[in-house]
Amino acid sequence: MKKSIIIAGMLVITLANSLYAQDDIRLNGYVRHYTGILTGGNMDYSILQNTLNLEISGRRNNTAFVVNPYLYHYFDKDLELGLREAYLDLYFDNFDLRIGRQQIIYGKAEGVFITDVVSPKDMREFLLPDFDEIRMGITAAKLNYYHGSSTFEFVWAPVFTPTKEPEEGSIWRPAMDLPAPATFDMSAKDVPARLENSELFLRFSNLGSKLDLELVGGYFWDDDPGMHLKRHIDTESGQLTGLTLTPEHHRLLMGGGSFSMPVSGFVLRGEAAYYNGKRFQTADPMAADALTEKNYLHYMLGIDYSLAGWTLNGQIIQEYIVDYEEGIRQDEFENTMTFLARKDYLRERLWVSFFSYIGLNNGDALLRPSVSYEFTDGFEILGGANIFLGDEGRFGQFSDNNMVYTKIKFSF
Amino acid sequence: MKKTILITAALVAMFTIASQQATAQLSGQQIMEKVYHNPTGDDMQSELTMTLINSRGEERIRQLKQFSKTNDDVEKKIMFFLSPADVRNTSFMNFSYTDGSDDDQWIYLPALRRVRRISSDGKSDYFMGSDFTYDDLGDRHPDEDTHKLIGEEQVNGRATYVVESTSKDPSYMYSKTITWVMKDSFLGLKREFYDRDGKLLKTLLIKSFDQIDGFWTILETEMHNVQRNHRTVMSIKNVQYNTGIRDNQFTERAMTLGL
Repeated sequence: MKKSIIIAGMLVITLANSLYAQDDIRLNGYVRHYTGILTGGNMDYSILQNTLNLEISGRRNNTAFVVNPYLYHYFDKDLELGLREAYLDLYFDNFDLRIGRQQIIYGKAEGVFITDVVSPKDMREFLLPDFDEIRMGITAAKLNYYHGSSTFEFVWAPVFTPTKEPEEGSIWRPAMDLPAPATFDMSAKDVPARLENSELFLRFSNLGSKLDLELVGGYFWDDDPGMHLKRHIDTESGQLTGLTLTPEHHRLLMGGGSFSMPVSGFVLRGEAAYYNGKRFQTADPMAADALTEKNYLHYMLGIDYSLAGWTLNGQIIQEYIVDYEEGIRQDEFENTMTFLARKDYLRERLWVSFFSYIGLNNGDALLRPSVSYEFTDGFEILGGANIFLGDEGRFGQFSDNNMVYTKIKFSF
Repeated sequence: MKKTILITAALVAMFTIASQQATAQLSGQQIMEKVYHNPTGDDMQSELTMTLINSRGEERIRQLKQFSKTNDDVEKKIMFFLSPADVRNTSFMNFSYTDGSDDDQWIYLPALRRVRRISSDGKSDYFMGSDFTYDDLGDRHPDEDTHKLIGEEQVNGRATYVVESTSKDPSYMYSKTITWVMKDSFLGLKREFYDRDGKLLKTLLIKSFDQIDGFWTILETEMHNVQRNHRTVMSIKNVQYNTGIRDNQFTERAMTLGL
């Protein structure tokens, strides 16, 4: 397996090199080294990763293509070769067609996924990677029709791609509070690749002089599976002896939208989505498989501002389970805030940045200070920390994973 | 024949004196309006190179391709970043309104795969690490400032008006600017920017200009930050006017698809 990945990687590089000799082909990308050290305990490495990311693109008349292969090398895992994107474009007067593996991004929220449900997420390192690495490509056909400053978009994804979850034993695997030993039954996890299991999305967007507006709708599979839970009870003692968890993806219907508008020097942003048919874990003993189906609202309001050279933005995010019932593991209202401050020095050579998620329900947070310095154009060294505060909640559950890290990157 | 020449010469002399009297009466506001309304064609495209030079003489280079188009009440501009490699395929779009209302600005970052509106309040931010702010690069509407003609000078052998401009917005990043405007072309030849403490911050010098397709075009400028002693040389080439750039060049589609 490892040998075939190396051969495939060499083929990609050789192909890229030969294509580069052609005038209408471009080769861009980066080489990066990434070291993360856990600051608690024995100062274990959380990650040691070397990356080659290539973007090969070309355009001829009204056609184009992009191929974006990547190679991850780890000290403790198999070499990983993947395709972030590989698509073909056809351009017409008023519409474009894009076919192939592609990242499709919706919405105006930063670091939060509200209407941004088309490209699934790679959560193997939680929310720490760059966002173009968190979002995975999907195989899809995307048709865009343009009228003035408006865009109408239709996406058909013939096969479902779920969230990539952390492996068993990973420090980023979410904590599961289970009352008895559990076994996993993966028999229902895959969504068969057939036409009826396609995903469909619609988007309208307009960039206006005083308002940018986006409306979206989708009929798709929930990227995160519902965990169907079966309890095994000893018939004689009546004691709970074990659990079987069967992850299964379910259909969702979503409608929503987002906007951004200038207001007295600020940019005000908002985004909202209404999900129909989302599954939630419940402790209600009457609920089949310990799951309950509810409609769900997810919305955000944020502002962007520049002050004394600092780029600042703040967002308030709320999730609301409609017709809430006692026993549902998630709170009826889940409130989160984000804050970003960023400034450059030395004429964009030195960047100082601070991003944070703050979970208001559990008093937990993820703080992400970082400093990067560009030695020369395209060669950057970045140092930062990921600090998890609290004991529970989305961020507090990783309180043992506080880390410092460095990334060295050469872009070409 | 001799009489005809004499009459013609007299007429030319009279016309010259009359026009000098007329231009001498121009106010600072009128001069800056003439600068603002200098014909620029319906549309324009060019390739831009910025050379950032620090106090030790080290150079960093940024390259862009830009398109602009002026309709009745709005000037639309879109820029595509070509280098350095880590910003390649980034695009920036600006709509500037002739009525003086705030610009609309958007940026497309390929890593984020989406177009986002940015605050036009960030106009005091420096563009790509250069010595030009976004505001320096835009066409500042003359009504945003109070202009005063403070003299007339010869600069590099050219007759100029010297106009002092003070922003009507007390929070503006410059306490004042002084512009040397060429009398014959109404192009700014030189400008000084004073910081909020009233100290000279930057000087802008037009190093090369020419008429292309009948339009006065600045081909090379140098902005020198005298306080930090670094400078940015901005040069443009392959300038083309009135090629019929379509409106759909200034859309979300154009920003995301790039060049």
